Amino acid sequence: MTTSGIGVKSQGARPRVHLEEEVMGTVVTFDIYDDAGVAPTLLAQHLEMARTSLHDADRVFSTWREASPINRLRRGELGLREMPTDVTDVLASCMVARSLSGGWFDPWSMPGGIDPTGYVKGWATQRALEILLRSGVRSAIVNAAGDIACAGDLGIGTPFRVGIVNPRSPRELACVVTLRGAIATSGVYERGPHLIDPHTRRAGTRVESASVTGPDLGLADALATALCVGGADVLERIEGIEGYEALTIGSDGTQAQTSSFPLAE
Amino acid sequence: MTGRRSSPFKTSRVLLAATSAGFVVVLSVHAVMPGRKAIAGFTTPPSTTPTSTPPSGATRSAIGASEQFGYGTISVKVTVQGTHITAVSVASFQPLESYSQQLTDYAVPYLTSEAMSAQSANIQGVSGASYSSAGFAQSLQSALGQLGL
Repeated sequence: MTTSGIGVKSQGARPRVHLEEEVMGTVVTFDIYDDAGVAPTLLAQHLEMARTSLHDADRVFSTWREASPINRLRRGELGLREMPTDVTDVLASCMVARSLSGGWFDPWSMPGGIDPTGYVKGWATQRALEILLRSGVRSAIVNAAGDIACAGDLGIGTPFRVGIVNPRSPRELACVVTLRGAIATSGVYERGPHLIDPHTRRAGTRVESASVTGPDLGLADALATALCVGGADVLERIEGIEGYEALTIGSDGTQAQTSSFPLAE
Repeated sequence: MTGRRSSPFKTSRVLLAATSAGFVVVLSVHAVMPGRKAIAGFTTPPSTTPTSTPPSGATRSAIGASEQFGYGTISVKVTVQGTHITAVSVASFQPLESYSQQLTDYAVPYLTSEAMSAQSANIQGVSGASYSSAGFAQSLQSALGQLGL
């Protein structure tokens, strides 16, 4: 294991720091590949802040917690003005995502009331990465069970590589992408159908798996949800969103992608 | 946010890379105190000085000195309530270079042949739909991170 702050090997590179945190009903991992020589205590402080930010997001946005602010909003017990600023920030971003997706991502059309869940996991994970980066860390990955935000690379000119699971055979990869920024994948496998078509308000998807890459994991997460539900229509819309690319895998294994989707060789 | 209910307890997981057979051991430890975690990769983890003669039933934790063992350097954190051990976790783990090579020699072929297609070598993560924490890909992904793939 290298002990210097630079010179991470591209082959067989291991993260210098690895942390797993159980939160938001899943496990979020932090992998720091190049800490740029940041003092361990400073790094530990920022890891703690990043970790805490995830739990904060869970407390505010979890629809599984009866007394969470989002549930109190859903039940009409509290109004928007009484919500933490994170809620209004997230809902504003959700409106943008709804518009960009042509309405295929729509937290306002979910059964049981407003539900920004499809955006929140990505948003919270992106925020955790940015908190971590404030320590001065150069290269890191935060991975919320498959929704991944990264900064930096394995070394100059060697981007991170991330596999996309084959939805027909979840122990295999369908492909590998070179990752700059974020990737979110949405699908119906493993947990069964759980995505709601906002147009019908019932469970329904047009592809087995939908992945979106781009600079922000929150938007990528929302667009991946939309893409899984909407299929080709959403793929076309993402083609027009600067910085974002997408790939879908159909039930017959057919892949479709935007023109610059970053498939690795 | 979707999926199963969050446990009221913190769970810190530290992956210990494993045997010559290439298995990956996941230590899942329930810690009593929220806000504590295991950080792998620090050679000198911050140590916590136990309070002397605490009141009976107080929750305390301490990180032991880094110890050499067969596969590298490890330090262990223990949390006690009174005299009762409530949690044990790995605070840091620094594998030997030679052991890293051993892992590469044994574990990598195992993982790639048994679990993933050949193209999966040298990836830093796996993207898929909402894995449960016990899900295969999450575990594999963590293992790959530990093994430096």
